[in-house]
Amino acid sequence: MTPEEFLERIKEKFDVEAHISENKMPHPRRRVWITVGKDEFKELMRLIKEIDQRAQFSIIIGEDRGDYLSAEYHLELFYEQEPSLSIIVSTSCSKEDPTLPTITDIFPSSLPYEREIQEFLGIFFEGIPDPRRLFLPDDFPDGIYPLRLDEKGIKPEMIKNAGHPYNLKKGGAQ
Amino acid sequence: MNERLEYWVKIPVGPIHPALEEPEKFIITLDGERIINVDVKLGYNLRGIEWIAMRRNWIQVLYLVERICGICSFSHNHTYSRAVEEMAGIEVPERAEYIRAIFGELERVHSHLLNLGVAGHAIGYDTVLHLTWLARERVMDILEAMGGNRVNYAINMIGGVRRDLEEKHRRMLLDMVKYYREEVMPKIEEIFLYDPTIEARLRDAGVIPKRIAIEYSAQGPTARGSGVKKDVRYNEKLGVYPDLGVKPITPKEFTGVIKGDVFDRMVVRVGELWQSLDIIEHALDQMPEGKIKAFAKDNMVIFKLKKAEGEGIGRYEAPRGELLHYVRAEKGRDGPAKWKAREPTFPNLFAVARALVGEQVADIPVAIASIDPCLSCTDRVAIVDAETGKKKILTEEDLLRESYKKTKEINPKLKIKPERIGVGCMRGGVL
Repeated sequence: MTPEEFLERIKEKFDVEAHISENKMPHPRRRVWITVGKDEFKELMRLIKEIDQRAQFSIIIGEDRGDYLSAEYHLELFYEQEPSLSIIVSTSCSKEDPTLPTITDIFPSSLPYEREIQEFLGIFFEGIPDPRRLFLPDDFPDGIYPLRLDEKGIKPEMIKNAGHPYNLKKGGAQ
Repeated sequence: MNERLEYWVKIPVGPIHPALEEPEKFIITLDGERIINVDVKLGYNLRGIEWIAMRRNWIQVLYLVERICGICSFSHNHTYSRAVEEMAGIEVPERAEYIRAIFGELERVHSHLLNLGVAGHAIGYDTVLHLTWLARERVMDILEAMGGNRVNYAINMIGGVRRDLEEKHRRMLLDMVKYYREEVMPKIEEIFLYDPTIEARLRDAGVIPKRIAIEYSAQGPTARGSGVKKDVRYNEKLGVYPDLGVKPITPKEFTGVIKGDVFDRMVVRVGELWQSLDIIEHALDQMPEGKIKAFAKDNMVIFKLKKAEGEGIGRYEAPRGELLHYVRAEKGRDGPAKWKAREPTFPNLFAVARALVGEQVADIPVAIASIDPCLSCTDRVAIVDAETGKKKILTEEDLLRESYKKTKEINPKLKIKPERIGVGCMRGGVL
């Protein structure tokens, strides 16, 4: 399936923003970038799974974009042929209501990534089967998400002199 | 008293653990000898690289990502360069692409030889360890001669490579390929394809069925060992790899069957060693003359990238599987607005955790070693008896002893004794 055919199939059902990028390598590589709202997101993922039953889920890229939070999902379809189809689905949520639907029931391998985003960025996934922390230690303070750029992120006091042998002042950090 | 007494025992394996290369924790629930659940906890080596990268410029991040891992140091900065090139639309000279391919395959050779040795050690065949690690020195020397370092050779630059390949390097490479083809590979094939003890010990251990491999997105040799034909160099049409004839390798071409066990994953690695040697030879033949960098000076890169805007994804088949880097640029900023990486061990760990269910405790070291986890070395395992709450500390020696006992049952003539040698602690300093 070419990127154009795939995009046509998506646009039949959903009204989404999408474009196809191409890079300048000896063998050009094309990717499909789709932007979708939070409400339609789960249905779109279901459709992708329908198009290729064996679609591989690779990564969630969560990001603090100032006034909203975004999450981009990279998936690879038809990976047993050359070239495979590489697609990026991006969705977003507001900071007042930082929730997204979980897709662990569609792609079981997405669970560790959702746990990672949940602890690092504070996007909560509705219906996640295992909401425990994965990377951060259990005694890490609640309500602080290290990759946030606003007041919920790591404050300068938390990192001052952390592991820096030359800046140490007598009696610890000030 | 006829009621069957059942109690489960929870064993935390890690964060410091035998046969593992880096700290991670598997909490294993046991019913007798049988594993019934495996839970993974990570983050014992969390350095906050993503957070650091938000405060660095484009070139600094290139060297930062190289230090994620000592073994895949080429893969990381290669993939990052590709992501940035895709984002900014930079064209890489063809000669640079060939040099990248050669370095990538040299790295694959040394990584696979290392893992074959570790798997041998995990079941008590230390001869295999000594053989493969001796053979590995040759490729490490070549990397040092060509890149200036045994690890962290920093060969990539955004838009090309930093060092050219000279005539003497070409001769050294051809000598090396000949040495591996004639002296090392026959021995390795003899061991990993035909040795009865290896076969008895690795066959049907840690089976990852094809369905689980797809469901849990296993990558690299772990996926190909289960019969998933997936190789990013092939299905991404990456760089000049299509011209070099790269194909996903499955155990079917060697043994005729695909079972998805530890044995199959080792067979895939042996096959990829052959393929890497072929690729190096082809690349040396086909390599054109010309420039090796798109920009003559590094500050031109920053100047160009400051004006760039957009997103890019770089993907590459690292020795352990698909590696993915993502960058997003904002105008007027001299560093990436967002950078994120995904290492292949991450999904592989969850796949092997699922695969361990139903296996025996003695299979833990070799099953975990078989995915070649890129994680630091470990020393003790605490066993907490659920009934009494008493703690018993198992050291690496004890766990290896269990593993060796199982090998001895298969081949009683074997003379092995468990001792700590610090495998996988390349950065730890025992070896």
